[in-house]
Amino acid sequence: MNQWSIAEGKNGPLSLLLAESKEKGANRQERYPQHRFFGLCCSYFPEELVMAFGLEPLRMLPKSETATPAELPSFSCSLARGLWDMEKGNQWRDLVGIGFVHTCDTMQCLSGIWEFAGQTKNITIVPPVMLKAAGGFEYYKKEVEGAWEGLKSLTGENPPLEKLREAMVLCQKIREQVQKLDKIRPFLPSSLVPAILRAGQLMPKEQYLEILKEIIPQLEEETSHSGQRVKVMITGAVLESDSLYNMIEELGGRVVADDTCTGSRHFSGDYQESKDPFTDLVERYVKMDPCPCKNKSLNERIDLVKETALKNEAEGVIILIRKFCEPHAWDAVSLEESLQKAGLRTFVLELDGSEAAGQERTRLQAFIESIQEQRDTEKGGGFQ
Amino acid sequence: MTKKRNYRPLRSADKLKKTMNRYYGLTTYHRYWGKIAKRPLAWVTSGAPVELLRAFKIHPAYPEQYAAIYSTNKATAQLCQVAEGEGYSQDLCSYARSNIGGVLRPDLAPLGGMPKPDLLVACNNICGTVLKWYEVIARHYDVPLLVLDTPYLTHEMTDHAKEYVLAQLKDMIIQLEKITGRPLDEKELAKQMEISSQTTSLWKKARQYCRELPSPLNAPDLFIHMAPIVVLRGTKAGLEYYKAFHEEVEERYKEKLGAVENERIRLVWDNIAIWPKVFSFNKMFTERGGCFVTDTYSGGWAIDLAPGSPLESLAATYTEVFLNRSPEFRYRQLVELIREYNADGFVMHSNRSCKPYSLVQEVIRRRVTEETGVPGLMIEADMADPRAYAEEPIRNRVQAFLETFDD
Repeated sequence: MNQWSIAEGKNGPLSLLLAESKEKGANRQERYPQHRFFGLCCSYFPEELVMAFGLEPLRMLPKSETATPAELPSFSCSLARGLWDMEKGNQWRDLVGIGFVHTCDTMQCLSGIWEFAGQTKNITIVPPVMLKAAGGFEYYKKEVEGAWEGLKSLTGENPPLEKLREAMVLCQKIREQVQKLDKIRPFLPSSLVPAILRAGQLMPKEQYLEILKEIIPQLEEETSHSGQRVKVMITGAVLESDSLYNMIEELGGRVVADDTCTGSRHFSGDYQESKDPFTDLVERYVKMDPCPCKNKSLNERIDLVKETALKNEAEGVIILIRKFCEPHAWDAVSLEESLQKAGLRTFVLELDGSEAAGQERTRLQAFIESIQEQRDTEKGGGFQ
Repeated sequence: MTKKRNYRPLRSADKLKKTMNRYYGLTTYHRYWGKIAKRPLAWVTSGAPVELLRAFKIHPAYPEQYAAIYSTNKATAQLCQVAEGEGYSQDLCSYARSNIGGVLRPDLAPLGGMPKPDLLVACNNICGTVLKWYEVIARHYDVPLLVLDTPYLTHEMTDHAKEYVLAQLKDMIIQLEKITGRPLDEKELAKQMEISSQTTSLWKKARQYCRELPSPLNAPDLFIHMAPIVVLRGTKAGLEYYKAFHEEVEERYKEKLGAVENERIRLVWDNIAIWPKVFSFNKMFTERGGCFVTDTYSGGWAIDLAPGSPLESLAATYTEVFLNRSPEFRYRQLVELIREYNADGFVMHSNRSCKPYSLVQEVIRRRVTEETGVPGLMIEADMADPRAYAEEPIRNRVQAFLETFDD
């Protein structure tokens, strides 16, 4: 499927990112023996805190979406089941610790179970759910400062605040690169950008930034129009594999925008520097594109997804629900209504995890074909 | 020939019926008196600080409570299907789905569904679902949604969490003043809280008689008679009801009258009731001398109001509810109940509709049994949706569990 030439060698920079993405953080000790990792379950845990302590943030992704650990009921999502199953299998034992963030009821329970019955040490941040509520900002800041203290206890180290500022600068530079990538996303195979973004949550940040700086200009040069591919946006939670993106590409679609936890949403928002790094940090996390677990106002997220789809000229939006993921399932109905009113085709797809298979293929094909047919009828659209 | 009963019905049931019917009547016909009396109707979550709303003369209606009524009246499956037809996943909370079904098809809902709200007040101390559910309702009716965000407590309450909740309560007062056109009457708030406190105290005392042998109450009594503590909290009607209820339970205690004939196995219940099967499920236990002497669910409304000024008290009381606490807290709570109530075992309802209650149960079950030596049974079902109740497998598991007490 790859139609670009910058990753010709097996050890080329792009190949490294794609391999990272595929590995999902496995073999990290062999790959990066000089680095110590700290696991994170959600984008709302400020990774800059972790980096200030000389640790590398690692997005924790499940190895299997069919794990059924006895401690969790069958109606828990596969993300929770998979992560906990790996804890039982001692697959997180090398981590210095794990950072949880209270987002949904399932993550609340998982962090509780981890503290109650797990082995790996953890720190939990409980951000405000109502991001613009009275007192919310001050409260969030105290939670972040609490996590900073927690990291001090966990590591026995006491880094100066300059280290935090350095980490923030590094993350900001990465975000700037990601914005460039997002701009050329429509001209690249659907799975490429998500894989690159996922790699950035699994490997040492400095190295990641260097590779982005190297490959993005080359990717910009290699972009080409994509014929009559159907332009779609994906909105959903964590996507730990490229399966769905590949399927969309194979069926004649092209993912032109993404609103997923492991995708563009993770890199949204920026800083405005003041005297206090904690204030700046929290401001960015409040500014970040909200996930369905957070509320800035009644329709802000719904409107944002719609605007992103329209801005990127998507013809359809795939609303992805991970089975038993309640926040995304709740938003799906209002999202679908809002998108349809804006003239966009929608397709609600429920997956156990991130792997799309035969049944999904048939439905996805029908969705993409329906857009193609509509386009044929209207005799317009497509990439020119 | 009359059928032999294994349980002793409460006289208070008649008073309960009258008290609740009056409340439903007032709620159903709110459209005829609400505007004249300048009393808006709010849909509120079961863990919302209703004392504050009552101080603004807001009439609260509880979608969760209506959903329980829909379920006991066998309407939930059909109402859920209406919501599912609109795209709401079957994996979402059945209270929420049946409520939405009732909004879309009031003709299918008992009591004619809920009256249209003037505003919505949600407190996320019980789950994250309430926020998403109320967002949907706010969009549907285009009414204000007020949210009290009570941070989940990983350990004890922190100063900054309390300050955050306090700041929101103050902001909520400003919003309620705008909505109702009334200033906050602090004396009225203090009065509401005093009534709440007295009512809670009576509910708590009545429950504590169940520490004795035989227990004067059984789980269905607790589930049915908790209705006023939820919906009439802070009212004279609620207080009067619990005076009568307490008196009857005290009388049973003094006369050593058990709720279950030949009480043999004392059990603790964990999670929301299985409303569509509340009596038939319980019968499996009573016919073998099993009695649920206490529970964590209805016990959630038997917690004293926290000290401090009215707003400080509301902030602490509503943030520290047990569902907003860690598995460690919940484990200790269950161990204490088992010891205080001299229980022989416990039953956990793994409730598909309530993740914060259910997802941590298995680790708690194991630790409680390790700590107390008391066995615990896990049953998977749903609080309202009968389609998630597998009759025979549950019966077999209950029978096997009860047989362990035969030796």
